[in-house]
Amino acid sequence: MMFCEKAVELVRELQRLSDGQLPAFNEDGLRQVLQEMESLYDQNQADVNEAKAGRSDFIPSIKLRHSCLLRNQRCVTAYLYDRLLRIRALRWEYGSVLPANVRFHMCAEEVEWFSQYKKSLASFMRSIGGGEGLDITQDMKPPKSLYIQVRCIKDHGEFEIDDGTIILLKKNSQHFLPRWKCEHLIRQGVLEHVLS
Amino acid sequence: MSEAAFDDSEINQEDDSQEDVMTPAELIAKLEEAWLNEKFSPELQENKSEVVECVMEQLTHMESNLQRVKKGDTKASIHRMEVDRIRFVLTSYLRSRLQKIEKFFPHVLEREKSRADGEPSLLSPEEFAFAKEYYDNTEAYLKAVALKRMPPNLQSIDMLKAVPEPCLDSFVFLRVKEKQENILIEPETDDQREYVVDLEEGSQHLMRYRTIAPLISNGAVKLI
Amino acid sequence: MDAQSYHPVSPGVGTEENFLSLDDILLSHQRHPVRTECAFPRLGFLDRSSDSEDLPEGTKMELPLWLSKGLYERKRRVLSVELPKVYKEGWRTVFTADPNVVNLHKMGPYYYGLGSQMLHFDSPENPDIAQTLLQTFIGRFRRVMDSSQNAYNEDTSTLVERLDCLEKALFRSGQSGLNGFQSWEKGRASQLTASSLVINYRKRKMADVQA
Repeated sequence: MMFCEKAVELVRELQRLSDGQLPAFNEDGLRQVLQEMESLYDQNQADVNEAKAGRSDFIPSIKLRHSCLLRNQRCVTAYLYDRLLRIRALRWEYGSVLPANVRFHMCAEEVEWFSQYKKSLASFMRSIGGGEGLDITQDMKPPKSLYIQVRCIKDHGEFEIDDGTIILLKKNSQHFLPRWKCEHLIRQGVLEHVLS
Repeated sequence: MSEAAFDDSEINQEDDSQEDVMTPAELIAKLEEAWLNEKFSPELQENKSEVVECVMEQLTHMESNLQRVKKGDTKASIHRMEVDRIRFVLTSYLRSRLQKIEKFFPHVLEREKSRADGEPSLLSPEEFAFAKEYYDNTEAYLKAVALKRMPPNLQSIDMLKAVPEPCLDSFVFLRVKEKQENILIEPETDDQREYVVDLEEGSQHLMRYRTIAPLISNGAVKLI
Repeated sequence: MDAQSYHPVSPGVGTEENFLSLDDILLSHQRHPVRTECAFPRLGFLDRSSDSEDLPEGTKMELPLWLSKGLYERKRRVLSVELPKVYKEGWRTVFTADPNVVNLHKMGPYYYGLGSQMLHFDSPENPDIAQTLLQTFIGRFRRVMDSSQNAYNEDTSTLVERLDCLEKALFRSGQSGLNGFQSWEKGRASQLTASSLVINYRKRKMADVQA
């Protein structure tokens, strides 16, 4: 058997979902890696004491275990960091409220990171232009027209357009709406942009 | 971008230097240049907060003018389109900056820390606050979930070493705005030697970013 | 750049590894043959073919790259490192003859990455390995680029499955450029689309419900 197999398994888990989806947080896998680290560390402490007492032939084994400790640390950090990049993407794709099935895949600390990230991004956007504020999660593509034709993919309920008119977004209904009003709903898969 | 939308105003920068009176068209040209430079360069460029602020003012001004126009006015919808287009360029510019700040945050903060007095800042105050929070938030997360549960000698990692730096050796396309003489080109292979080139005004080149990075910040070339 | 919001840490360039890159972690998990040049007390279990307590000097076994890199020192040698077959002279001759006939996915899939990493270990063969890597890349690049730029709406799977990871990434970026250009030509570039992440989550949810 070789050390660090569990840690690489965490990395593979993310690599398999290369489109950026967030798999469930693998607390169990993480715990096993941390256990392996603890035992590597304990064995090294014991061998270090022997080495100090004159057994310099123990040094290669100490070095090998230390390499394994560093490797485990690297895999775990990379696993967690890549998850943050995926969680960050959720803010840009879904908006600040996440569907429950996505949220359930995060651990408590990730939920905390996400809410901090939301806060930082919001206060950054509020401060643009000396405090006037600008939503930079909108206008993701260059505009071609002010109004666009959209089809409703699922029931969404009432929706207010800028002049105060309220329309009903009902499944399969089609509407001609201001582009900037629809952008988020299209990204979230509620509306579909129909090209003429 | 057309100048149509700006026909009724000029922006006077309220600056001590008094020299800067920019027309709206010049302002938008500045924004576009900053946007493309940012989009195509591997590392974060100096911030252009003054340009961002002026464009924001201009947008607000145009939008409030549009509020007063009657519905169905064709001229108004052309102006509204213009507002949308400028807003797209502005948000895309700010997005690509924010993306680089997130990607390189330890290095961006490090450069800010080691900046000499009087040297222009890479980050606007708002971006600096964002980068700082991003750093603290990420470090706290890694500590809480895993690092503090590791053996004592492994409880911290050096973010500067862990997070990759921008690759300054990537190649960029550029157009020369002011003639440059004696630009030193480093050899690509062992059997080449370094040599110098002149860059003529208006000419276009594909070059290593590192070689021409200083020319972007002084405005002698722009990325395309 | 704006279209996708998930940007993973990219692998290091050349002989560099990026600490946080998932690709680089998997690359450095590749194994190659080594011979121990000293004993490793109390680590006998690392060699599956023996059940002694210690790992004796002179044991031949396979180790992952990250471990041999971690143990490697020029002055005090605890391991001697052997090249994986594909980088040895026999295979180098094949690559030089015609790089296009080789299935680099099967031989790799990190042919260039692992090859560059092997240069960390002092060896008289290093210049030849580096030269072969470079010539192989140059020899195959044209085909990778041509097909990524010309195959629009075509099945490219037979070509792609023979590519190394690096080539695959280049192929994909060429394809996404081509697709972007085509959709611009058809006037579809300004079409607002749903986030692919959102769509994939929805698919998964449906699959969960049906399971």
